[in-house]
Amino acid sequence: MAGQSDPHISLFSPQEIEFMAEDELVEIVPNIRMDPLNFISGDFGPFFPQIPAKVPLWLAVALKKRGKCTIRPPQWMSIENLTHVLEGEREDQGAFQAVPFHYIEISRLLFDHARDDIPDIYMVRSLIEDIRDVRLHKVETNLEKFSATSAVKISHLSAMEVNVVRPFVVRSLQAFYKHDNPVVMADLDSSSDIQPQVRQPQVPRNAQRQPLKRR
Amino acid sequence: MENSRETGSTNDGDASPRNANYYDIDDILVEGELVPVVFYKSANGVKVDPSAEKDSVEEGAKVELPFWLAQELYLRQAVSLSIPTCFNQNTRREIQADAACVDLKSRCPYFYEFGCKIAPLVGDRTIGKMLLSTFQMRYKEILTKAHTTAYAPASKSLAVLTKEETSLHEAARSSMAAFKKWRIGGPRFQRASVLGRKRKSTE
Repeated sequence: MAGQSDPHISLFSPQEIEFMAEDELVEIVPNIRMDPLNFISGDFGPFFPQIPAKVPLWLAVALKKRGKCTIRPPQWMSIENLTHVLEGEREDQGAFQAVPFHYIEISRLLFDHARDDIPDIYMVRSLIEDIRDVRLHKVETNLEKFSATSAVKISHLSAMEVNVVRPFVVRSLQAFYKHDNPVVMADLDSSSDIQPQVRQPQVPRNAQRQPLKRR
Repeated sequence: MENSRETGSTNDGDASPRNANYYDIDDILVEGELVPVVFYKSANGVKVDPSAEKDSVEEGAKVELPFWLAQELYLRQAVSLSIPTCFNQNTRREIQADAACVDLKSRCPYFYEFGCKIAPLVGDRTIGKMLLSTFQMRYKEILTKAHTTAYAPASKSLAVLTKEETSLHEAARSSMAAFKKWRIGGPRFQRASVLGRKRKSTE
């Protein structure tokens, strides 16, 4: 699947990533009665007042906007957990902490639409921003270590982080591969990027495998 | 040629790699780079140099030809190729000293592509290695610049990048800029331009 916004560099726009993140499930506490909703992705409900239910994030946001529910912030969005993650990120420069695949998008959506449902929102928000900055910086230092590699494995990258570095990583890996491979060099006089299909999805694919295990 | 036109940009295991980039403007421009050649045979009725007096090229004449022409003549054994100036020893020494500062763009805007094309023809195996080490050294520079200058266009440092490096830099910069823009937020819904206009009377 390629991004729609710019097919040339196969990049998803941040908005598209956010759209995908809206399929993640969150817990809501409705204050209305409603029959079950039958979607392609599954059935949700029935909803009773004060009885928690799991729904996709987009539905939660839609209900929240109409004042029909409160959203329960996910488990990982607690101050203790975030502090722990942040400490882990700062201590271990080599590896990434396991965070939800869509943590940047989910937190942004909740901060935008459900700020009154999150306890200590200022603390939570600054923690998540710190985590994100530390991780992005770590991604960059990781990328600087590339030399003549044709495949890379970085665990626990999140969707947005992968997406930000994807165009750059894909192209530089292609270049490394091409210049590091005498066979390719020899029989290519005009085919400039042989086998982009093989190289291209490697970093994203490795990273995207992570959340699937956790689900 | 016909079938490769379809897949020109995607280039998925094309049957004829020669024409895989048939429509690629960069590929066409790469082949316009000049290569010094020496003619083995004299050729009548051609004028490769606009300032030449006669309409012929003598045997042993040293001329600079665009790559696409030089390649064809070389395959017909009419000329011998020598290494272009951008891959000579002087340039290599400069690159070894500090690759990141060498102004490759003025030497050859398609340094890497051109190197890949010329290497098998002149039979110089060291060119490939040189390209790799050059890219390795310059790569880091491109990366840090691209992510730190997400908004302000850094003009001076970009002037030394080749076309390939510029597109790499641009790819990194634009994705980072898009992310930052999304993070800052703004109006989530944009008003369609057709809305809010005053209705025109149809009469």
